Parts: sequence; structure tokens; C-alpha cells
Amino acid sequence: MKNRIVLLSIFMSAMMVAGCISEAIEDSVNDDNSSPEEYVWEDDGELVIVTYDVYGLTDEMLSEFENQTGYDINLMKLDDAGSVLSHLMQHKGVQIADLAIGLDNTYLQTAIDNQLLWEHFANISNIKSEVLEPYNGRLAAPFDHGYMCLNYDTEMVDGENLTVPTSLWDLTNEEWNGKVAIPSPETSSPGRAFMTATVDYFANDEDNQTDWTDWWTAMSANDAIITTGWSEAYETHYTGGYGEYTEGYVGDAHMVVSYCHSPGVESWYNGNWTKSAALDLPRAAFHQVEYASAIEGGNLDAASAFIEYLLTEEVNTKMPTENFMYSVLNDTDLPEDGGYRYHSTVPTMAANVSANDIALNMESWLEDWNDAMVAA
Amino acid sequence: MRWLLLEMKSKNIGLFAFFIYTVLVLVPLWLAVDRLIWIVGYDVIDWIQSLERNYVSMGTFQFTLLQASISTIVTLAIGIPIAWQLGRYKWPHDYLIRSILTMPFVMPSIVAAMGFLHLIGENGLNIRSNQGTWFATLIVAHAWFNLSLVIRFCEPVLSTLDPQMEEQMLLLPAGKTRLGRFRYLWLPLLMPSIAAAACMTFVFSFTSFALVRWITLGENTLESMMASIGSSAGINGYMISRNEIILGSSLIQFTILLLSLWVMSTLQHKRQSRLPKASESIVKKKNNSGWLIVFPALVFAILPLITLVISSFRIRESSASGTTYSWSTAGWEYAFTSTNSLPSAWDALFNSVGYALVALVIALPLGWMLAQYICDLEKLKPRLARILDVFTMLPFAVSSVMIGLGVMLGMIRIDAEFFYSLWLTPALAHVMITTPFVVRIILPALRSIDPLYDECARTLGISKFKRFFKIKVPMLRGSILIATIFTLAMSMGEFGASWVVTRNSDWTTLPIMIDSLRSIPYNNSLTAPAANAVASVLMLIALILFISTEKFRPRRDGGMF
Repeated sequence: MKNRIVLLSIFMSAMMVAGCISEAIEDSVNDDNSSPEEYVWEDDGELVIVTYDVYGLTDEMLSEFENQTGYDINLMKLDDAGSVLSHLMQHKGVQIADLAIGLDNTYLQTAIDNQLLWEHFANISNIKSEVLEPYNGRLAAPFDHGYMCLNYDTEMVDGENLTVPTSLWDLTNEEWNGKVAIPSPETSSPGRAFMTATVDYFANDEDNQTDWTDWWTAMSANDAIITTGWSEAYETHYTGGYGEYTEGYVGDAHMVVSYCHSPGVESWYNGNWTKSAALDLPRAAFHQVEYASAIEGGNLDAASAFIEYLLTEEVNTKMPTENFMYSVLNDTDLPEDGGYRYHSTVPTMAANVSANDIALNMESWLEDWNDAMVAA
Repeated sequence: MRWLLLEMKSKNIGLFAFFIYTVLVLVPLWLAVDRLIWIVGYDVIDWIQSLERNYVSMGTFQFTLLQASISTIVTLAIGIPIAWQLGRYKWPHDYLIRSILTMPFVMPSIVAAMGFLHLIGENGLNIRSNQGTWFATLIVAHAWFNLSLVIRFCEPVLSTLDPQMEEQMLLLPAGKTRLGRFRYLWLPLLMPSIAAAACMTFVFSFTSFALVRWITLGENTLESMMASIGSSAGINGYMISRNEIILGSSLIQFTILLLSLWVMSTLQHKRQSRLPKASESIVKKKNNSGWLIVFPALVFAILPLITLVISSFRIRESSASGTTYSWSTAGWEYAFTSTNSLPSAWDALFNSVGYALVALVIALPLGWMLAQYICDLEKLKPRLARILDVFTMLPFAVSSVMIGLGVMLGMIRIDAEFFYSLWLTPALAHVMITTPFVVRIILPALRSIDPLYDECARTLGISKFKRFFKIKVPMLRGSILIATIFTLAMSMGEFGASWVVTRNSDWTTLPIMIDSLRSIPYNNSLTAPAANAVASVLMLIALILFISTEKFRPRRDGGMF
């Protein structure tokens, strides 16, 4: 009997202590909101970068930085931009990384609102003004950009098997059933960018009866393939890209959300040939800017040094070929060789959604998106 | 007086063990659940309804249930004939055949996933691009895994039955036909074993993660869905619905697993009482036509593993003009070289072995002490012993992803800086997972020791210390070794919890490295062979561990471990 009481009390007290711990932990973390004047950090000679598959962070490029500065880089690779933000949110106040690379303009504001970032002091200049439009401050430094577009396989979308859509509504027709791959806006930054574009697209179309969520419901009903990240959509499902040369290729989608310059990358790789093309519908493209940000509580010296390095002419002008994105520096463009620039589309009219609108509405858009998808 | 003191001491050890167990195993889980509830509020119905309200979780429960049920049926349909052949007839190299057929059960799920992925890939059956085959592949992979359960549970009943019973049956009217004998003799005998195997298969398929993640793209089990949304759970004011989904699905999982465990333990009891005593004089016939069943089964058991090793040496070269494969060790080199973005397989191996040893050093003594305490109490306070027994089984009803979330949201949240600087942190999940197994393995062995030995030794005046090392340890040797190897194997192959915990840290393990290598996008043709190379290493370790357990296992014990 006594035993039982002892055990029970151990268990009960464990439970009761637990009850207040969540609260206590959260409180201790929230007390820690230091304002910019109070930045305190220690330069331990190490730079921990939290990122996802950002191709531009090649081994050579990272080693070069290590050699130049003496910092030791430690790369923490997560699944996607969403995971990077979650990681920062998860460790608010007790961050373990110094620099986040790969948050884009659809994610950045959440990170800023939650005081997850610190102002870097890297010396940067010569940045294209269009890139600074969504955000122009020191909490995040843009390092690459590009436009999100629908891409299609011209061998399948040839007017016979499938016709080139002239409106997003065309994709809800039976002929496109199960043939459009879209990364989920809940987890992927290209997905989020595309969803944001649809908000603007359907707000400005001639039809006043329906709005953007109706389109997503129709897409969901038309068995659109929603993937967790861009690479699953493009590599595994899309027939027009390099995916067919990779392991695990399925090839059931002839239309995919990717970059407007993805066909250019394909062409550059294949010696001036590609069967993929970007679909240039007005307001269906989204200008995406990707950022490198110093993380609160991290090694600000190292983070700033890396940001500066990332924006040197030497590194940043390689973005098109190393990272398959536009450089953010003035007077740069995609290279012409291999048909890179020729096959890349600059959208005639990108979606016009202000950074402020994104910051204000992203949460509710995501909820609406979820409801729209479930409603199908 | 000294007697009493000694008794007190062992009691204290028991209480101490339960305290450690509570702190290490239950508190993290409790903290995690507490955190989730703190964020979304306590509304059980709402948690469960949230599954259908959200696009990520919609239909997941139905899919989980469907695939687990079909997996169970298919596993039984394949497994029973094999068990029948093995049990009823004489086979050359009987021991080897049995080992090969039961080996898949110890293979880490990620190794199986890689194996099957290549079996159905372009270089194998080439059915991968047809989505219609994915579900079937998943079912077959689950059958591959759980076949050994059916064999291990049913075969002893078949092979040890006294031939007189069948002879008597032949004389009775109901036993004239094969069907009749099956209906009235074998089925009632086999039923509890079949049901127990079905139960376990169902549990394993229900919580399947690595296989679902890699084979059926776009479809999730509750387990794989929880893993994918887990990283954004537990954050106050951010993606609240994720917390509801996790609470809802873990509750469903918990209920179903608990139910299965209960059914399982009831059946276990029945099984033991129905198992007819073995007769050594059984003379079995050879059955050449049985090879039609046994041979394909053997091929089926080894094929995914062989494919895996072969494909680690096959490098894909593709261009617009077509795809060719060449032989090369480049995949192995890629896996074993450390780069800035990828640790080398040596690091992963070091971590995996390290965590397995840590898990062993903690789980084995802890499990043993718990088992000893339960065993001691059984004589004095059977009800309390039963309660504690169930208490140590609770983690079985919690899936490994949930255990991972327990570590991440429960422990790491307390002091992230500290826990992330601690190499040991991921090992906590392994301790949580392996301790209950140690208890399960050692407890029956302790029960079977006749207390007379100890009493005799006491009357002879042998000290407690000596009694422990000279009497108890040698008698438990087999079980301790099995528990040791099992702990090592479980920890080395652990996927779900590590997937949640280690991906946010510096320390990768072999299973996680396989997964990350395979996930690297862009057409680097070395990543898939490199993933297979690491999987081959893990497979080899699992094989070595498996062969070692087979040596210590009492033959035909009909148990699961």
C-alpha cells in the first residue's frame, strides 16, 4: 500500500510540475527580447548556418570563406524554407544557429515580427532597386531573386495532347486532371509565392463571382498534385525537366510551379535545348527575393562577414550558374551561353502584392488556402 | 535484522529504477503533450476533428487503417503457408532457411525502404513511374517485414505437435478430409498464434514511417504525417492547427496501439496454454513440392537486400540521348567523404554506435532493475506488480515519432542551448524506446528462475553479491545477451524519433544520413548510390547483430524476440 502511494505521488508530482513548466519556459524565453541596442554576442570563431537546399552554398564557396576569414562553418540543412522558419521559431530566445539563409519575402516578415533576427552590419552596396522593394533594411540581406511561374512541358502541351492555358481556370478542366504539380504553400517558399500570386491574379480578373480560393478548391477537386517541397514537384512529377534523368522519377505532371527562368537553366545544362517553357500569364508570376539574415543571439560578426561575402561581386555574380537564380547586383543578368537567357522568361506583368500586404495577410491566406483545399 | 535490511535495499533499488524510468521516459512525453495542450486548449473532440479540417492530415487516418489492415491480411496469406511448410516437413539446412526467413524483421525500416525503392525502380522491375503500383509495393514491403512474425509465432505450434493427435484425428469423421483436419485440428490450435502475429503486423504497419515516406509519395500514415508537421508544432501562436493535428493523431494512435497490445497480451496467455508439449520423436517427411513455396520465399526475403548492395555500385549517367549505368565505387566514396554540407558516413557510424552503446548502458540495467522489481512484487503484491508491468509497457503504445517529439518539445525546450551542445541528447530517445523491450525480454526469464536456487544458496551462507553473479547472471545469460543485442539493433536502426530530433542538430545517425542523402535534390547522380552504400553498412550491422541473437535464442521458443 505504501509503495503504491509513493509511486502515485511521484507520478502525480511529475505531472503537476510539468503543468507549469511549459508556461515557465515560455516566460523565460519571452523575457529575453533584446532590442537592437542591447545586442550581446560572443565571437566563438564558428558560423552555424541554418538553411535548406540552397545550391549556391557549394563546398568551394564555403571553404573559400573559411580560408579568407578563419571562421569554421557548420551547415545545418533542413527540408525547406518553412522548416528554417520553424527551426527559428522553435528556438526563439535560445537560438543555436547564427545565420539563416533562404527565407524569402513570403516568410521574412513572420521572422521579423517574432524578433528572430538581428540587424547585420555587413557593408553592402550596388544592389538592384527592384530587389530592395519587398524589404530594405538590415534584418535581412537579399542574395538572390527570381520570378515564380508555371512551367509546362512543350512536348505534351503542344496543342494536340494538351492546350496551352490562357487562364489559370483552364487548369481546372478535365484535361489537366492530376497533371499539375504545385508545392504546398504551407511548407515551401515557391508554393507560398505562387499562392500569393493567385491572390492577386483572381482579385484582378474580370470575373467577380469567384475568388482565388474557389480556384484552389477547383484545383484540389481536379487532383492537383500538392507536394511538400519544390524538388518533389519538379524532379519527381514534372515531365519537362531534368527530373526524368534522376532516380525516383514518376513523371505524371506536365505543368509545375517553378521559376520563370527554369527553362533557361534546363537549356544551359542541355547545350541550348529544352522542352520546358514558362507560362507568362499576367499576375500569375511572383517576384521572389531570398534573404540571408543574422539570427538573434548568434555570432553577429560571423553572420555579417558571411553576408558581406555572399554579396561580393565574385560570389554573387555566380548565382545564375551556381544557384540557378538571378544575382541581386546591379548590371547583372543571366548568362547568354547555352540559351540560358533566351529560354528564361521575364514575366510581362508579375503579381503586385506589397510586402505589407503579405506581412498582414499571410497567416489568414494560408488558413483560407487550407479551407479551400479541404472543401473540394 | 540483516535480512530485512537486504530486502529494504532491493526495494529501494526498485523504487529508484521507477523514478529514473519516470523521469527519462514518461516526463518528456508528458511535457510535450502538456505543451501542445497549453497551446491549443483541452478539447479532445476538436483535436480529432482537426484531422479532417486540415489539408495535410485529411484522409490520413483512413489511409493508415486501410493499408495496415490489408498489410496484415497479405502478410498472413503469405506467411501461413510458409510456416506450414517449415513446420510440417523436413528441410535440409533447416536452420539457415529459418534464419533467412526471419531476418527481415531486424532490418531497419529505412534499409528496407531503400531496397524496395530500387527493386521497383528503373534498374529493377521498373514499375515505379506507375502510381497504381505504389500501394501494392507498400503492402508487399510490409509483408516482407512482418513475414517473420507469422513464421516465428505459428511454426512452433506446427512443428512440435505430437503426431498422435493427427493420427487420432484421421480416425474421426471430421478428420477424413484435409479441410476437415484443418478446420477442426489446426485452426483451433493455430488461431491464437495467427491472431497474435496479425496483431503485431497491424501495429507495425499502422505506425509505418520510412516505407510510407519513400514508397507512397503524397500519402501519409498518421506517423509520417506527424513527423512532417512536427517541426512546426509546440510554438505558441504559430501554426496552431499543427498542434491540434498532432494531439488528435497521437491520441488515435495511442488508443489503437493500446488496444492491440491488450489483445496481444491476452492472446499470448492463450497461446501458451494451448501449445501442446513437444515430442522429440516426431519424424517428418521431406516435401519436394514444398520448395515451390519455400524457394520463392527465400528469394523474396533476400532480394531487396541484394538489390540494395548492387545498386550502391551502379552510377547513373544520363543525358538527352538516354540513360546508362556503370559500375563504380564512387557512391561509396561520396558517402564516406565529409563535406561542408554533408557529414561523412564515418561520423554517422560513430554517432550511431555511440548512441547504441549509451542506450545499452542505460536501458539494460534500468530495464533489468524494473523487471526484477516487478518480479519480486509479483509474489507479495500481485496487483501492484500488474500495474507496474503495464506502466513499463506504456511507451509501446507511443509511436517513435511521438517519442521524438517528446524529446524535442519536452526536453530540448527546457534548455535548447544545453541539450544541443550535448552529444547525448538523441540517445535519450533511444533509451525511451529500448527500455520497455529490455523489461519484456528479461521479465519472463526472471520469472522462470526457481526461487529454490536462491534459497539454497542462502542457506549455504553465500553472500548476496556472490549469489547474484554466480547464480542469477549465469541463469539469465541468454536473455541478457538477447536484450543487449536487441537494444543495439533497435537503436542503430531507429528512424522515427531520430528523424524528429537529430535533423535539427549536428549529429546525424546512419538511418538519418540515408534519408538525407536520398533527399538531396538536383541531379547529382551519386546521392542515390551513396544512400544505398550507407544502407548497406547498416544492413551489415543488423545482420551481424541478428546472427548473434540467433545463437543465443532458445530454439523454437515461439516468442517475438
